[in-house]
Amino acid sequence: MVNNGFDQRGTVNIEIVRKAFSGSKGTLLALKDILLTINPGEFVCIVGGSGCGKTTLLRIIAGLETEYKGSVFLGVRQLIGTGLDRGVVFQEHRLLSWLTVHDNVGFGLAGLPPQERSRDIRHYIRLVGLDKFEYEYPHQLSGGMSQRVAIARALAGRPEVLLLDEPFASLDALTRMRMQQEILRIWEAERTTVVLVTHDIEEAVYLADRVLIMSPQPGTIRNILPVRLSRPRDRTDQEFVRVRKSIHDELFGSGGEAYLASENVPDNS
Amino acid sequence: MSTAEQNRRLEWKDATAGSTPKPPDNLRRIYLLDRLLGWIIPLSVVLVWELLARLGILPPNWLPAPTVVGKTIYQLAVAGDLLKHAGTTIARVAIGFLLGASAGTLFGAITGYLPVARKLLDPTLQALRSVPSIAWVPLFLLWLGIDETSKIALISVGAFFPVYLNLSVAMRHVDPKLLEVGKLYRLSSFQMVRRLILPAALPEYIVGLRSGLGLAWMFVVAAELLGASSGIGYLMVDGEMTGRAAIILASVILFAVFGKASDWMMNAAGRRLLGHRAR
Repeated sequence: MVNNGFDQRGTVNIEIVRKAFSGSKGTLLALKDILLTINPGEFVCIVGGSGCGKTTLLRIIAGLETEYKGSVFLGVRQLIGTGLDRGVVFQEHRLLSWLTVHDNVGFGLAGLPPQERSRDIRHYIRLVGLDKFEYEYPHQLSGGMSQRVAIARALAGRPEVLLLDEPFASLDALTRMRMQQEILRIWEAERTTVVLVTHDIEEAVYLADRVLIMSPQPGTIRNILPVRLSRPRDRTDQEFVRVRKSIHDELFGSGGEAYLASENVPDNS
Repeated sequence: MSTAEQNRRLEWKDATAGSTPKPPDNLRRIYLLDRLLGWIIPLSVVLVWELLARLGILPPNWLPAPTVVGKTIYQLAVAGDLLKHAGTTIARVAIGFLLGASAGTLFGAITGYLPVARKLLDPTLQALRSVPSIAWVPLFLLWLGIDETSKIALISVGAFFPVYLNLSVAMRHVDPKLLEVGKLYRLSSFQMVRRLILPAALPEYIVGLRSGLGLAWMFVVAAELLGASSGIGYLMVDGEMTGRAAIILASVILFAVFGKASDWMMNAAGRRLLGHRAR
């Protein structure tokens, strides 16, 4: 029986005074004055247009960006660099083509004794519903299946926080909806803290406990909207639509055009 | 292949995603027919050639009939010469390739992984690479004499460059997005190389090995033509000196057969190592 250790999960405390990128076109201030607390087991979505800094923020939490002015804490521990306490899923599946699904999921578990490692791997493969494909290779899987393997890989290290960067953006619309249901099911089973970055407002309202709305130049959190609908959520429900509209208006409404980035923004991939 | 057949092939591939069955019989027949088509021209050429030779249209000492060439090879085999000369040539290729490919692997790995090493070594190696291959032959014969050393050295040079180049470039061009996955798991430099960079570079590396092997064969021909007392190349020169066209043709065929066989083996080994990956 897998022990999730929910009671041991920490609160994520983020304070980013300043994060800048220097490039050929000068310095770009990607993030400024971010102050954010994410509660254990919470499902948080970050929405915003391109260039608003949402991916940068996620990468800082993941430990992939380390040069910034500020600090990120998980519980009482300051996070410096990457670690198994945070699992990351990117927009591309980034699976290793020479390894089976089994070995891809177990990639970060090399330090474990073999029996325990196999047991964990199998648990997470079953959790994402791919037990029949345990020994297939990535090229034999569809896009949605590959992303599920990536999710299993991210979860295999039993992270306290699961970070997803537009994970369903490259999937077709129907698969995307299925995957949204899947990620909720997985979250309800594992109760990890989840931070999911998306440009899809409907996705954010469907999934999140709270939606963080970001605006660019410099990247800041414009607003935080709690979503108090019970799950499973109905996308056509009046309240759902109302929440969605209010986020939409924040991003596009009167004066909202100013909150979309201009063209001079680096590509975050 | 018609569009309909192409579509059928794609449908089969889609339908069987997630499994690796054998193709259905009608598709297997199409693959076979495709390959048989490739044999039509060579077989026709051989038949026409035989006919022209028998009719006396082709002078026998200029272009002997295929059957005459075949008989020559058989005679060489019976006399034990085939084993002696082919064996010598194959041994030279094998040793030279092993040495050159090893050196190429070593230098390729170093320059592939350490930018400093690349900036130091690559310009020099690229300059050496631009020397036309055959131009090395007289130089090596002068420095190392006419015995085995010069020949093996030449073959090693031939094998070295494709292996070095392919490995170095492949290692440098591993998808940075995959390397980020390594960062997530805090892999040490050694682990990054062993678990991410080398496997990712493997397909191109094997292409480099096949190229190196091909060049090794080319260099052994050059080395044996310019100064040897045994080997298939020696046979060729001997045939030329004594005006026996059949021996020259036989040598050409032997080079082709052994060269192709070694390439086929390397390819098969490569496919076994890479078989699981997507085409």
